[in-house]
Amino acid sequence: MPFEPKIVAYLCTWCSYTGADTAGIARLKSPANLRAIRVPCSGRVSPEIVLRTFDHGADGVLILGCHPGECHYDSGNHRAAKRIPILRALMGFAGLETERLRLDWVSASEGERFSHIVSEFTDTVRALGPVRWQVRGNPATAVQDDRSANPLWGAHQSSNSLIPADKLAEFADRNRKFTESIRLNASELLKSGRVHCVIGYETGTHARTRPAFIWDASEADRLVWNQECTHNLTLYLEDALNRKNQESERKPVVAVVVKACDERTIQVLLSENRFSREQIHLIGVACDGIYQVEGSQGNDENQEFALQQKCVDCEQRLPLSYDTLIGEAARQSLAEQSLVPGMGVDSLVEQMSQTTPQERMDFWLSQFDRCIRCYACRQACPLCYCPTCLFERDDSLWTGMGIEIDEKRTFHLGRAYHLAGRCIGCNECERVCPMSIPISLINHKLAQEMKNYFNYEAGLAIQPSPLVTILGGEERLP
Amino acid sequence: MIANNHEPHLWFITQEELRNWLESITDHATLIAPQNFDGIVLFKPTSDVNEIDWGNSRAAMSIKEAFFPPTEQLMVIKRRGAEVKVTEKLFKEKQVIFSARPCDARGMKVLDSVFITTEPEDSYYSKRRANTTLIGLTCQQMGATCFCTSMGGSPSNPDDMDIMLTAYNGGYLLQIVSEKGRELVTGVNLQPTTIAVEIEDEIGRAPTPQIGDWPPRFADDYWEELAERCLSCRICAYVCPTCRCFDVRDEALPNDDGWQQFERIRCWDSCTSEGYRRIAGGHNPRDTKAKRLKNRVFCKFYFYPQQYNPVACTGCGRCIDACPVNIDITELLQHLTEVVYANRA
Repeated sequence: MPFEPKIVAYLCTWCSYTGADTAGIARLKSPANLRAIRVPCSGRVSPEIVLRTFDHGADGVLILGCHPGECHYDSGNHRAAKRIPILRALMGFAGLETERLRLDWVSASEGERFSHIVSEFTDTVRALGPVRWQVRGNPATAVQDDRSANPLWGAHQSSNSLIPADKLAEFADRNRKFTESIRLNASELLKSGRVHCVIGYETGTHARTRPAFIWDASEADRLVWNQECTHNLTLYLEDALNRKNQESERKPVVAVVVKACDERTIQVLLSENRFSREQIHLIGVACDGIYQVEGSQGNDENQEFALQQKCVDCEQRLPLSYDTLIGEAARQSLAEQSLVPGMGVDSLVEQMSQTTPQERMDFWLSQFDRCIRCYACRQACPLCYCPTCLFERDDSLWTGMGIEIDEKRTFHLGRAYHLAGRCIGCNECERVCPMSIPISLINHKLAQEMKNYFNYEAGLAIQPSPLVTILGGEERLP
Repeated sequence: MIANNHEPHLWFITQEELRNWLESITDHATLIAPQNFDGIVLFKPTSDVNEIDWGNSRAAMSIKEAFFPPTEQLMVIKRRGAEVKVTEKLFKEKQVIFSARPCDARGMKVLDSVFITTEPEDSYYSKRRANTTLIGLTCQQMGATCFCTSMGGSPSNPDDMDIMLTAYNGGYLLQIVSEKGRELVTGVNLQPTTIAVEIEDEIGRAPTPQIGDWPPRFADDYWEELAERCLSCRICAYVCPTCRCFDVRDEALPNDDGWQQFERIRCWDSCTSEGYRRIAGGHNPRDTKAKRLKNRVFCKFYFYPQQYNPVACTGCGRCIDACPVNIDITELLQHLTEVVYANRA
């Protein structure tokens, strides 16, 4: 028997569902593959619904709404036009053939158009064959162990941007100066009462660098600066602000040490009204790039230092805004200093996008397979601030509780989607992952899509956010 | 061949013979061994001995997974009209774990007290435990974050294994520890030996307060300070060989020939996560990071020992390595010990 795809269609009740009726009344032929689900509006079809549909074995998902300008709710279809292309890029990057997800417009009178789109879509999906997405109960999608033929393995780990020894010495000298300045600055801020707390870095056990919270000027000497100051400390701002809130009458102010990337987080948090600019004091640091920080299991004293991937491409040495600046103003990018031969995240994402869906699918399944759903990536993300994560609800609405491949992938892709147009690429999610899953590649892919599609970059200014949910005319309508 | 109970307990096996032996094990049992996945060493089933990671480094996850999987289907429930069928899913296979480390094996003893020794017995866990043989491997060297010797363990302790291996002269010294171990080596070509290898135990890395010293520390401000940087993720609990909390839920499966289908699953959970202690009505008695972090530490060193003894930490040091914000349990214990002594003085 030839393959007949299962196609789930979400039809807007005002236009497309009526359009389907019109097609029926006119006795136009449409393939019987369609499972139609009537929704109030194409804008109601959230990305989570689409993910869930594929998770449950759909071979294709068709979303039909009213033509632009004809939405019963004014702009629901414009929202769909913003979300679905980004979701498509995301699922494509994870290994789905993008042709399996289509958004189009059918009005109530367009029976013929409905019939045409459905036939065309069904033919496309039929030609693609059975979907490789859902893993459970689907041997064709099993996690592959044979990596020999797949160009992606190894590629994502290849950027060994080793720091030359003479640079290390130069950095060490600068670190000492920066450390002095940060301590002095923090101490003054606390003594004068301008801030209640300074969030910075200190040296912890096993020579690791870790976040430090300084509430008293006498403790300021704990603060340090070095190339292992990887944490994005803006994560802790709200907690520190709230903590002070409860104890003092005065409006609390918290100072935080930020690198250029961390400061972009501040722009997004301010855009989303998490706190006001007056409540924070930014101690900006001129950043020379951060090293890959590993666990301390090996007793390696001759450890070589390599830059984090995010730093290889980074052209921005200074934070865009700051209240105090530590270090000199304009510096060249690392690439300009011809320091770093390695491959950055952007080129990696580019390389991955060139591979086949099958190769990407195998790659990501093998990566997500290791996930233990510890949620460290989410917890380390300053922009994952929902009180209850959609993927951790008691009712298993969007994904089950299981620590298994389907659930894990849905969590990671769903989280990535929620960060589209918001993630500023600090890559802390990847750094904290105990299983070394290259999660940040997905975030960078979506950042590229946002730039290409909407000409939008997160964290460069205070601007309406999240871009995928607000309406400002950025969407491209066919 | 092992013939009677009077034979020596120490044998020598060459690397080659060990490989052959492990290969023969895959014929009748699932072999679980450390393997390298993109730089991460994990215990996973394998049918190919060539995949095994023979290095000395400790795996990123403990062997707990083999007995208490991250997700376990407990039963399948089917319903059609008034008819209901329930099928329990008990573990029936045999498994052999190769290269288990003493800290992990000791961790299983900690779980045994909870799941087996204490009524009612957890049949899911106990079946897996009974069907699994542990081939241990002596650690050549304690890692930078290891502190098993402070928790009463040792890198060469064979007590909780079925068979213990110690690398020696290109091969391994093999010690048969239990009856299960004896069964597994039946037919293997072993040469008796009397060689003993000394592994240097480093001591005193983490002084630990006595059990009675813990309750007064419950109200310390220290927990708030320590938890300021805590992410409230679950890494420490999930990499821990003794953390054993879980959640149980019924989830729908696709219908099967007119039958509605559901599965009852249990999944790892952790007291370090925010929703763990939330109760009906929305109240959360452990609503801050500090309370949650404190609970995990108290569970290891006070709540668990009170009920089962000894402490529920084996000093494997994984949580120290994996914590993204350097919450170091040895630093914490050191601090508390100092406070205890200061208060006594």
